[in-house]
Parts: sequence; C-alpha cells; structure tokens
Amino acid sequence: MNCRKLKSWFEERYDIEPFRRFLKSKFVPEHKYDIWYYTGGIAMFLFVIQFVTGIVLSFYYVPFHEVAHKSIIDIVTKLNMGWFFRSLHHWGAQLSILTLFVHAFSTLILKSYRKPRELVWITGTILLGISIFFGLSGYLMLWDERAFAAVRVATGGVGNLPIIGNFIKFFLRGGIDVTGETLTRFYAFHVSLLPLITLVLVGIHLLLVQYHGISVPLSQENEIRGYKPFFPNVLYKDLMLWLMVFGIVVTVAALSPPEIGKKADPLAPPPENIKPEWYFLFLFQTLKFFPGEIMGLNGEMIAIILISFAILFFVLIPFFDKKSNRGERSTLFTWIGVLYTLYFVIMTIIGFLS
Amino acid sequence: MIGFLFFILLLFGFSHLFAQELGIEVSPSSPYDRFTIYETLAFFWAGILGLIVIIKMKLKEIERVQSFGIDKDGRDSPLIE
Repeated sequence: MNCRKLKSWFEERYDIEPFRRFLKSKFVPEHKYDIWYYTGGIAMFLFVIQFVTGIVLSFYYVPFHEVAHKSIIDIVTKLNMGWFFRSLHHWGAQLSILTLFVHAFSTLILKSYRKPRELVWITGTILLGISIFFGLSGYLMLWDERAFAAVRVATGGVGNLPIIGNFIKFFLRGGIDVTGETLTRFYAFHVSLLPLITLVLVGIHLLLVQYHGISVPLSQENEIRGYKPFFPNVLYKDLMLWLMVFGIVVTVAALSPPEIGKKADPLAPPPENIKPEWYFLFLFQTLKFFPGEIMGLNGEMIAIILISFAILFFVLIPFFDKKSNRGERSTLFTWIGVLYTLYFVIMTIIGFLS
Repeated sequence: MIGFLFFILLLFGFSHLFAQELGIEVSPSSPYDRFTIYETLAFFWAGILGLIVIIKMKLKEIERVQSFGIDKDGRDSPLIE
C-alpha cells in the first residue's frame, strides 16, 4: 500500500478535513521577540527524549535499596549502549529543566501570562515544579551517597514548613528518615505518578495554547511584521531546532557521562562540601544566607516560609498584575520578572562557585 | 639502611592505595571504543546538518511559493485531485 492509497484508505473512514482546516488556520505572529516561542517546543521535544530513554532504563533498573546501585552499575558496564542511554537520560533531564526555566522566565518578562491566559501560566508553573520533582526523584534512583544526602536535605527542608511540613516530609520519605522505603516511593513517583500528571498537564497546556492562540507582548502589538502559518513554516523551524538540540544532547551524553558515586550508607556521615543539583542551588544558597535563629525563631523555618510565599506569588502573578490584564504597560511587574530571573541566575552562580 | 626505611615507608605509608576502590567506568574507555564514539559522532553530526540543510531548502521553496500567493485556494475554485 503506497502513501496515496493509505491516505485515501484513511480518508474514506475518517473525516480529517476539520483537522486539516485547523492546521491551515493556525498562524504565528512575527515580531522582535518571537524567538522565545520556540522554547516551549524544545521543552516538549526533550520530554519525549526523557520518556523514551526512561522506558529503556526502567527495563533494567531494580528499585530495591540493596541492589539499586548495583543495577545502575550493571546498566552502565554490562549492557550494550546502557551507559549511553543513562547519560542521555541524565543530560536530557538537565537540558529540559534549563529549557523550562528559560521558557518560564521569558513568559514572565514578556507577560504572556496576562488575561485570558492565566491557566496556561498556572499549568506551566505546575509543570516546572513537577519537572524539578522529576529531577529530585530521579537523582535518588542512583542510591549513591551524594543522592542520599541531597534527598535527606531536600525532604528535611520541606519538613520545616509549619503545620503541613512534617506530613509532607513523612509522606515523601515513607518514614521518619530516608530509607529503602523512600527509594521505592520515589521510583513510583518517577515512573508512574509524575509521568501521568505530566501527560495530563501538557495536554491541557497545549489545548489552552491552541484555544487562546499565541500571545503577543504588549510592546509588540503594533510592531507585528506579519503572521506565519504554523504548518509548515513554523513546524519546519521547530524541526531544525529539535535536530540541533538532539545533536547537542547526544554529543554531551557521549562525551561526558555522569559519574556514579559510592553506594549510599544511611549510617555514614554525609560527604564533605555536598551540593544539590544546579536547579536547587538558588534555594540552597538562600537557606545559607539565613542565620540559625532570628529573634528566637528557627531561621530555616522563616527562610522556607519566605521562599514558599515567593513561589506562590510567582504562580499567582497573573492575578496580581492588573495593569497587564487591562492591556496597559506595567513597569513594576516587568521589574519583578527581571528580579526573579536575576535572583535565580545570580544565586545559582554563587551556589556553584562557593 | 635508607633503602630498608624507604621500603618500610612504602609498605605502611602507601599500601592502602593498592586496596582503594577504583572509580566505576561510566563509559567505554579503551582507545578503540573512544575512536568509535568520535567517529560515530562525526557521522551523526553530518546526518543532523544534512537534515537541517534539506529542511531549510524545503522551507525556502515553500516561502517562495507562498510569496506568489499561489498556495492559497480560490474561494470558489473547483477541487482538482
């Protein structure tokens, strides 16, 4: 059956004309900042890489604390191309989180969250949070001493939240401390719960983007150079970028596979100069700036409360930025967006260098 | 005498180095395997760049046709297929 026959076979049974009309009616505005539109597509492409490499790794990984570390060593040393798939999964995760941060901060500064796209922004920020949790839960799969200490610090930090902190800590750890139970739990989150939520949220996010159309920054509303059809023009540009990103991930994965540390020992002291993954460094550095005690209160708890409020404000920003919602320029929220971006970048660099 | 002391020093001072765990090899490290990786990467990039050039050419052609406006169907034009 050649392509034309297959096409007519399909068209005899299904009415694809509305779908074709929809694709033809989808246009993307061209302006000074339209390059940022592509970050969402790149993030989605990297998600696909993560799904594929994750499925391959899950065939061989054993989520039991006695053998988890050994199973990874076996994947890397005994399986054909196992080292490459693990490396691809590792670097794909790093790049997808980086792309999501770029996507989020560009949306924030260009105020694409404004009315009527509040839900697009909220689903996007939840997806960013889920991706970070993907990173944390995937990190523990390694079951080496660094991952063990990092998860102990991260879940311990959440425990400082008033009222619900201890419940969340206990729920995440599956006990009072990080143990084999935590590994089983994190594995369940990593391979079933989080992918399921991600698929649903990505679906809603994309549907909402289709429903509202692509947002144009307020400053560019009168500067639009024209509209390009999404299919095929923008899709072809997306394809070229995806190929470049795929090339970069594969090259980094082949040339710089991630190390495997010593097997985690719950009774051993944490290794010296331990640092979390780069996307937690801004939080880690913020916590370091707070003294142990502020006016008789636990300094870490105050830091965690302040960080939680800052994150909540970030998620709910479309509801605070009234001026943008009315279609007016709001310099204050541009500066807030720049401040969030600079804070994240500077704190991550300080955390990396210190 | 100095040789004997040196031997003792070597025996007690550095003997633990022979017992230390070697780092886990996270990728093939033999020269042949490394060469294969570099060679495959070169072919892989040639393929990636080739595909990008083909897509770019295709896109240019589409944009050229679109600039004439002949890609749009007339409102009452009959369907020819």
